[in-house]
Amino acid sequence: MLEHYLPIFMMILGGVLFGIVMVKLNEWLGPRRPTEEKLTTYESGMEPVRTARERFSVKFYMVAVLFILFDIEVVFMYPWAVAFRELGIIGFVSMTVFILILLIGLFYVWRKGALEWD
Amino acid sequence: MNVETIFFYLLGAVFVGSALMMVTRRNPVIAALYLILNFFCLAGIYLTLHAQFIAVIQILVYAGAIMVLFVFVIMLLNLSDERRLSEAISFKKIVAGGLSVALLLELLYIFVYRKTDLPTLNAERSIEIGTVESIGRHLFTKFLFPFEVTSILLLAAIVGAVVLAKRRLD
Amino acid sequence: MIEQILHSLSLFLPETTLTVFFCAAIIVGLVAGRTSRASLYVALIGIALATWFAIQQAGSSEGIFTGMVVVDPFATFFKLLIGMSAIVILLFSLYSAEVQSTAHRHIEYGSLLLAMTLGMFLMAGSTNLLMMVLAIELTSLSSYVLAGYTREATDSSEASLKYIIYGAVSTGLMLYGVSILFGLTGATDFYNINRALATGSVNATALLVATIMIVAGFGYKISAVPFHFWTPDVYEGAPVTITAFLSVASKAAGFALMMRFFKTCFIDANALGLPAGMWASLQGFEWNKLLAILSVLTMTLGNLVAVWQNNLKRLLAYSSIAHAGYMLMGVVVLSDKGLAAVLIYFIVYLFMNLGAFYVVMLVANKTGSEDIDTYKGLGYRSPLISVAMVVFFISLAGIPPTAGFIGKLFLFAALLDAKWIWLAVVGALNSVISLYYYVRVVRNMFLRDPERNAEPVVFSAPQVVIVLALLIPTILFGLFYSPIVELANASVVMFGMK
Repeated sequence: MLEHYLPIFMMILGGVLFGIVMVKLNEWLGPRRPTEEKLTTYESGMEPVRTARERFSVKFYMVAVLFILFDIEVVFMYPWAVAFRELGIIGFVSMTVFILILLIGLFYVWRKGALEWD
Repeated sequence: MNVETIFFYLLGAVFVGSALMMVTRRNPVIAALYLILNFFCLAGIYLTLHAQFIAVIQILVYAGAIMVLFVFVIMLLNLSDERRLSEAISFKKIVAGGLSVALLLELLYIFVYRKTDLPTLNAERSIEIGTVESIGRHLFTKFLFPFEVTSILLLAAIVGAVVLAKRRLD
Repeated sequence: MIEQILHSLSLFLPETTLTVFFCAAIIVGLVAGRTSRASLYVALIGIALATWFAIQQAGSSEGIFTGMVVVDPFATFFKLLIGMSAIVILLFSLYSAEVQSTAHRHIEYGSLLLAMTLGMFLMAGSTNLLMMVLAIELTSLSSYVLAGYTREATDSSEASLKYIIYGAVSTGLMLYGVSILFGLTGATDFYNINRALATGSVNATALLVATIMIVAGFGYKISAVPFHFWTPDVYEGAPVTITAFLSVASKAAGFALMMRFFKTCFIDANALGLPAGMWASLQGFEWNKLLAILSVLTMTLGNLVAVWQNNLKRLLAYSSIAHAGYMLMGVVVLSDKGLAAVLIYFIVYLFMNLGAFYVVMLVANKTGSEDIDTYKGLGYRSPLISVAMVVFFISLAGIPPTAGFIGKLFLFAALLDAKWIWLAVVGALNSVISLYYYVRVVRNMFLRDPERNAEPVVFSAPQVVIVLALLIPTILFGLFYSPIVELANASVVMFGMK
């Protein structure tokens, strides 16, 4: 059973390895001659004066919550899509109703300007 | 020992390791990254249990969406000086530690002595239940109605999120 | 399959109506513009129609949507109750200063009230663990937002946050309990759970743990001690209209679901030699004793703490906790008589509690305060409203000739009938304590002089009509109670039960 997932596993492994190998390869092969100027955050640009860890705006919260809500919608679509052929017309109609109801939500969010960045 | 058992122990080890790393890190962002690793291992463990759908959800919802919210909250709170977080031993910590140790001992006892009267599961049936196809089949026949109610729940949640989080409603 | 769904839909008209109007309230509100009251009217029409359709279903008894929900007299009774209180709340809202001051958020107010009503309708009919959790979630989610509806007020936001945190914890506990119960029985359907439990192969300790966890979810909805902590703060912080709705409809839906859950899952269906109208709990699992403890704790704490309250909304919050305790007594006795007593109590409670909250809202509209000192000498400034308040309060205390007395009378009769003497004594003692704090408000209204230069408080004609509409039944049902008793006796019938 588990061997069905071998391709996925290989892909995750490949992805992780590719990332590590590329960064490390760069480190090994590239010449490194650091100077004080080069080590500054912006080589040509303004001096950074404050900590880089800024407090995030609460506006992101709206985006994050809406993302979760519409993500849940996708969760339901996944098994529906896989079993679509067996479900026939009932499956189609029920998913249409589901999406229509959520479309009202999208319409509401849009009209309320929650997708805009004030 | 078959492939599944090997994978179970392998993933289990990484799972416990990442969980320990997560709770011991001082930097919340690094802790969050270990939590993601932890979620992926959990998804893998679900796969060894043949819970295909749950594994997918684990990655899609938890490692994807819920983590976004976690990281956002960390960024919003912006705990800049985590090195100065107090490490004093308080009454609450002793109680929490005691309860955790009790739970650990309890679980060890159960696993070592296998003192359970739970029925053994039929492996073939559990494989059949966990697939995405079978979830789809049940969700859109027997559980069609709760599925539709979920859409209304989500719509109410969307409206609620906008009311509570949007600064100016117009 | 299609025929089944169509047949189910035909019996599902009240909920379908609510769903359609929920969507319509959002769309109409968005199209009509930001300060339009259109959504409130859409909600009013939707709930009125849904309640009407629910009344049409009287007498039918059937499981629909593959047994997820049932339509039976018991569910219909609670739909009627919830629908009526929702209508009254919407009428309140049209005259509420709090709601009208936030006109740009009427879409959310109307639509979420519809969603909440829909959730409670589903709670009244759920016969499946999955549906039960979904319905509770739909109700809770809408009420969290409505509790924090007047965002400009800090205490309203605080109320909402507290409500969400307590709600999340208790729903989490309930989900744990539900999953344990599912693990033990392998069924999500209430009737199948009962069948699985009847075989007696289930571990009793595990079942007890699961039940306690599930009770946490119910206890939170009906605000029973020790799951009541949110109640005073939320009741104080939320707009009065929402507070009134939470205290009546939300509690009714919680009770409906709890009574159905216990009666269908945890009774011994094969018990022999019981008198008619009595049931027995599962062998080796006397859950009614658990509820008896909960009941005593709830009413005693509610009443004792209410004595110290000076804010009328907080006082009514603790009083509503105490009333939940009284009503739990009716579930403890395991008889149809007990259930009928709870239903009678709910009809009475609907009028007297909504009435009390409405007067508090009217006074707060005029004076901007809910403090008990505001009520000093109110009897001279606004006689009609004050007399109404007195009637609501003595009814809440359970003194004849008001309807509250009838509610208590049937509860105690059911208790004595089932030989729960000690519980009846505790209940009676509690009623005596409650008299103290109700009378304290009444004394302030009539026996204390108003502050100097206090002018008469005048209310508009529609407001007075609403007060009278709640006042007259509170007195009338105290004198002619046979209709509500008959209605309650006819409504204890649950689908699939003897």
